[in-house]
Amino acid sequence: MRLLRGALLLLGLPTVLFGLWWIASADSTSFYFPPLQKILAEFAETWTAERWRADVLPSLARLGAGYAASCVLGITLGLLIGRTRWLLHLTEPVLEFARAVPPPVLVPVIMLVAGIGDTMKTAVIVSGCIWPILLNTIAGVRSADAVQLDTAAAFGLGRTRTLTSVVLPAASPRIVTGMRQSLAIGLILMVISEMFAAQSGLGFAIVQFQRSYAIPAMWSGILLLGCLGVALAALFNLFDRAVLHWYHRMRERSA
Amino acid sequence: MRRLLALSALAITLVSTATACGGEEDGNADGTDTVSVGVIPIVDVAPIYLGIEQGFFAERGITVELTEAQGGAAIVPGVAAEEFDFGFSNLTSLLLAQSSGLPIEVVANGVASTGEAGADFGAVMVAADSPIQTPADLAGATVAVNTLNNIGDTTIRESVRADGGDPTDIGFTEVPFPDMPAQLAAGNLDAVWVVEPFKSIVEAEGGRPVAWNYVDAAPDLTVAAYFATTKLVQEDADLVERFAAAIAESLQYATDNPDAVRDILTTYTDISPDILAAMTLPAWPADVNRDSVERLAALGEADGIFENPPDVDALLP
Amino acid sequence: MSHKTNRDPAGPRPGDADTPHPSPAGPTAPRPGDPRARLHPRRPRPRLRPTPGRTPPLPVPLVLGAAGVALALAAGQLLPHTPLVNPAYTPTTGAVLNALAADLARGEFWQALADTLTAWALGLAIAVAAGAALGILIGSLPPVRAAANSTIEFLRPIPSVALVPLAVLLFGTRLPSTLLLVVYAAFWQVLVQVLAGVRDIDPVAADTARSLRLNPWQRLRHLAWPTALPYLMTGVRLAATVALVLAITAELVIGSPGLGHEIAVAQSSGATERMYALILVAGGLGVLVNLGVRAVERGALRWHPSVRSEAPA
Repeated sequence: MRLLRGALLLLGLPTVLFGLWWIASADSTSFYFPPLQKILAEFAETWTAERWRADVLPSLARLGAGYAASCVLGITLGLLIGRTRWLLHLTEPVLEFARAVPPPVLVPVIMLVAGIGDTMKTAVIVSGCIWPILLNTIAGVRSADAVQLDTAAAFGLGRTRTLTSVVLPAASPRIVTGMRQSLAIGLILMVISEMFAAQSGLGFAIVQFQRSYAIPAMWSGILLLGCLGVALAALFNLFDRAVLHWYHRMRERSA
Repeated sequence: MRRLLALSALAITLVSTATACGGEEDGNADGTDTVSVGVIPIVDVAPIYLGIEQGFFAERGITVELTEAQGGAAIVPGVAAEEFDFGFSNLTSLLLAQSSGLPIEVVANGVASTGEAGADFGAVMVAADSPIQTPADLAGATVAVNTLNNIGDTTIRESVRADGGDPTDIGFTEVPFPDMPAQLAAGNLDAVWVVEPFKSIVEAEGGRPVAWNYVDAAPDLTVAAYFATTKLVQEDADLVERFAAAIAESLQYATDNPDAVRDILTTYTDISPDILAAMTLPAWPADVNRDSVERLAALGEADGIFENPPDVDALLP
Repeated sequence: MSHKTNRDPAGPRPGDADTPHPSPAGPTAPRPGDPRARLHPRRPRPRLRPTPGRTPPLPVPLVLGAAGVALALAAGQLLPHTPLVNPAYTPTTGAVLNALAADLARGEFWQALADTLTAWALGLAIAVAAGAALGILIGSLPPVRAAANSTIEFLRPIPSVALVPLAVLLFGTRLPSTLLLVVYAAFWQVLVQVLAGVRDIDPVAADTARSLRLNPWQRLRHLAWPTALPYLMTGVRLAATVALVLAITAELVIGSPGLGHEIAVAQSSGATERMYALILVAGGLGVLVNLGVRAVERGALRWHPSVRSEAPA
């Protein structure tokens, strides 16, 4: 019964909305808004195993690489900058500035440095994903409880030990929040990075469909993007629960 | 909360008003027609800017509102949705749209190749030290075009074929024109297909042309044209005729006054003065070259870019 | 100097907590909305008063920050002279600043700036209004919230850029098409935050409201709104940044009037110096917007005792 209720909640509203879309577009003759029926039929035809291998998987691989690089770079730099007061002051204005530049504007600049291959696309993803992680890590590190830090100092824990036992756990809820935001941004950047100088990829495919007026296929690509987003969000929730189970339990208790 | 509701009501009203304003009436009280034309701010559309400046449209009772878009991807849907009355786009894109079922028609010529190898406004360029010397050498190379499955790659394949080479495994990559010179210089690409002003920019960097694809595809190739929906052509034939006549006069004026062209370019582009002076200007003949368009359609069909065969007669006036 | 219950006597600054959390300092730490927080500041600190007659100490953060900016500009000046990049396509900082100065003197630049800011402000206003309204509505009704969860998770990751053809179809290349992209992206930021805020209502206060038999309107005004307000402000801050990025992106890709369109024209003319100058302006605008929204946030939440927090998005 619980399973049924869970499934109903998950699928209820989307099904209703889908149904409305189906009915509303059934007689559509508009070129750019084909009937949902046609889009779904196109879905099966377009996203064959061949296309998955050629387009979707490379895109996801690049997203994965870019995201992983952002996490590693963001957390490492964030720990460093957050713990060193003068470094924080030095870099803060420049960091705030750099993150405010819209990624599509940066793509030509990145192309100059990284060429036009996979490196460029991964670099574009990193250029956008790193900011939430970096800034959240810095904030998390700076919010480490003073009492705990003093205790660590009193016990003579070295810098490394303090980092791993006190600072990192204290910062982890914020870091995970940053990682979640980055994931959403990463998906967007994955599409943007493939709008320029690409030869394969999900975003590339969607743009090519649009350019060659294969509109139902374009819509099916957008639908696929949405599904990927949901799947990635669900995966991230699992990760969140695994890493922060102690934090969630604590909040529940205090609620 | 009340403030929030008021704010939302205001916002909704604003958006609806903005939407309503999207579809304006074309007729004016004083008898002139206001038309909106979607163009890309590039060299090719200099004539229409000149025509507006010289009054060719005003004397035919047309007020032109030019809207600069970033590419055919924004203009063709804009015309189809009647946001623009007229648009500017290359012929292969128009053939693609027409073969996909969009009800559009060419109303006037836009721009054409000069037809002279060695002095055209677009070419395939390579770096100075490249081993590629002839079009046939492009076989198996990485060539950048600004849009895949469009006029660039189809005409380049023809260049290679005409020179006796094999076009089947050329690695076409889609790169925006502005980024091509740097990528060529960095060695990430073997060759780039560029049009002015980027052709002159690459030349200034030491690049040299290796294939004149517009010339090889067909004699006096019509590259791009002004188009409108079939609906407009049928419902307001008079307006379309007057617009076409004004465009024809503008094209002639541009052909006769190349210095005026270079001057007007400074008003809607950022091209630097020395590049402006060095650029090869395209040709602006008064009529669309029908044979060349049929050739483009045949080339496109051979390369498999059309889902259905395009109907050239339905597209051209 | 302002006295804030923070570790840093200079107070919260930009770059601070993108997503500040209730510090996992223990179950006894006061949470937002908790009236006890007013009585028990989290970390009591001795007040620092400047000794009369002594000059105030050098604002170290400001000096270091300026030094950082200077370093970055110097690097930009020197980089094109190194073999790392091709000097033809990477102008020096000096050349870029020259182009910027030339641009500032042109009327079109200010017109484009005004266009971008208009799109940003209007889009943000619509997104905030819609996000707050829907967020409170959905959040207050638990079954609706549970049902809407999967839909929100599905629609949220769809990149705004995928909506470009739709925008062009509906609104052409004028302001409303930019607005569509801006509102779509910014709306989710606000919605998610407000939903988290409504969920965070203190259960004791909720019970009190029920036992006092407050009607839904009063519950909204006294319960949901004050609890959600800090989250809403965080949402506004995040949405403001996203809105600006999307406004410029939309102008770049669609061609609607604004800074993004100017960047595109500079790109398609091969005017790299002007392009970089405009990129600088875009970044600077983002910083200003961020600072401005933070100031508004501080002002709007002056009454709130503890560090503002937000739940994981």
